[in-house]
Amino acid sequence: MLEYVIRRLIYMLITIFAVASILFVVFRLLPGEATLQVISPAMDDAVQDRMKAAFGLDKPLWQQYFIYLKNLVSLEWGRSFVSAQRVIDILQYRFWNTLLLMASGMCMTLVLGIGFGIIMAWKRNSSIDIGGTIAGLVFQAAPPFVTGLLLLMILSYRLGLFPTGGMYPAGQRPDGVLALLMMPAFWERIVLPTITVGLYYITTPMLIMRDNMLEVLGSDYIELAKAKGLKPSVVMFKHAARNALLGVVTLASIMVGFAIGGQVVVESLFSWPGMGQLMVESAASHDYPVAQGTFLMLAILVIGLNFLTDVWYCYLDPRIKISSTGLA
Amino acid sequence: MSLAEKSSGFRSFLRTLREHYRIVHSNPLGRIGFWIVIFFLVIAILAPWLAPHDPWEMQYDKDGNFASLQPPSWKFPAGTTHLGYDLFSQLILATRTTFIIGAVSGIISILIGANIGLFAGFYGGKLDEILMRFTDILYGMPFLPFVIVLIALFGRKLEFVILAIVLIIWRTSARVIRAQTIAIKQRQFITAARARGCSNLRIIYRHILPNVLPLLLLYASFNIAWSIITEASASFLGFGDGNTISWGGMLYELWLSGKTRVAWWWFASPSLCIILLVTSLVFVSRAYEEVANPRLRKR
Repeated sequence: MLEYVIRRLIYMLITIFAVASILFVVFRLLPGEATLQVISPAMDDAVQDRMKAAFGLDKPLWQQYFIYLKNLVSLEWGRSFVSAQRVIDILQYRFWNTLLLMASGMCMTLVLGIGFGIIMAWKRNSSIDIGGTIAGLVFQAAPPFVTGLLLLMILSYRLGLFPTGGMYPAGQRPDGVLALLMMPAFWERIVLPTITVGLYYITTPMLIMRDNMLEVLGSDYIELAKAKGLKPSVVMFKHAARNALLGVVTLASIMVGFAIGGQVVVESLFSWPGMGQLMVESAASHDYPVAQGTFLMLAILVIGLNFLTDVWYCYLDPRIKISSTGLA
Repeated sequence: MSLAEKSSGFRSFLRTLREHYRIVHSNPLGRIGFWIVIFFLVIAILAPWLAPHDPWEMQYDKDGNFASLQPPSWKFPAGTTHLGYDLFSQLILATRTTFIIGAVSGIISILIGANIGLFAGFYGGKLDEILMRFTDILYGMPFLPFVIVLIALFGRKLEFVILAIVLIIWRTSARVIRAQTIAIKQRQFITAARARGCSNLRIIYRHILPNVLPLLLLYASFNIAWSIITEASASFLGFGDGNTISWGGMLYELWLSGKTRVAWWWFASPSLCIILLVTSLVFVSRAYEEVANPRLRKR
């Protein structure tokens, strides 16, 4: 187990390093030179050269690359072109907001998805099962901005039940996470984004859970449990559901990668001050240091969560240790 | 996979396809989905002739007044925007954009994914290691942010949107097809082909490819559906081609105009089109999954 975790950890670091290197190449070599944002071609040539030297842009590319890597490790991620704030400071604040929304969306998805999956398998081929499958597929096909807009239009604009966006009322920025969590206004605002994210991702765990349940329900030990005269609900939840959960865990790592995409859309829609919204804003305003930093942070989040789900899976199903890297 | 195993030559390929079509058609949801996709396809092909108005031309109602924010009526079946553009015409032309994006990025991405999967799986060793590590790195990239950053850097043009989507979407198909290739490579008919002196390329394309074909088509349709959703999401966030109309772009215009509180029709029709088309593609894929994974058929 430990050996697997260590190998997986090293592997994670290599992947982060590779993503960072690709980012360097993408932002340095592609058309639409990023430096034009700061060093205007209208300036005097001598001034341009001096500014390039100040940013280290006169050095050969490989030297720039090593400086870049050194800065990444020492958390010197540059300053925003727009606000001149340090990128790492901006990200620090945004990171937790994203994680908060992601966690609540994921909780909703997993609890409801797994729950419905069990019920659908239990009442197989009933109207609940078929209706659930179709509803799931429709929710999956609806991009999060469609669901989100619909919720906004009905629950916010029409019925006025929830605020339309943000994380707290304007001008009432709480100091610290605890203060934020104590605010009723915060809970009012997290409901709609959570439902939107949750509905978008509910389908996969729900349908996988259903299929796994059907598979497990055919096995001998379930027959035995039934034959012992246990209540059907006990057989379902205590015996069958436990084993069927395993497949959902494998899926969690794939879901995490997609969850970031939904996050970007939902944060922009509900003006949630997270990394997704920052990503869109900075890319739109050509604020490259922020865009690059945010992208890297999102990538680290994806890679890190993948690592956690892999380790968790290994813990649940020790057979995986035998396979070489376990990177299914 | 017994269906495709017999296939050799173009005619048997057609026969296989017909057989696959029959399987999709025997599933009620698959049948509905199939016909909805065909319906949209016809609209996409005939779009310029079907659209009653220029999508970027201000419309006037019969009294000669500027037709701004009109709810659906006989004259404007999907209503109008705040600038008086006819949404019905926009919807029809957007169908074409969507199909171009879906088809082009679906086909290119499956070609890349299939080839990488086939070669990595067949040759194994160093090549496999390199290709799959590269795929793994791509899996570390957050999907939509990757697409957005590339569009922002390349420029907001249709071909760049497609390129950005293709560059990341192939990763899933590469993994799946590699796994399948490894399984097939160990079968006896591959050994037989090798004993007959077939070249590696011939074995890959004539013996293994027909056997991964159902899986390949399945992932092609997944890729199409995903490309459509991705393009819509990117467009909604403002990273679409401003010169072509897409469903996501229409919703972006709505969001920008700030008329979300009043113009429900402006929201309803593009949303319904996205959901309907993507759901249909998913229905077809699920029905088709039985071809790719015959184990499911027994259940």
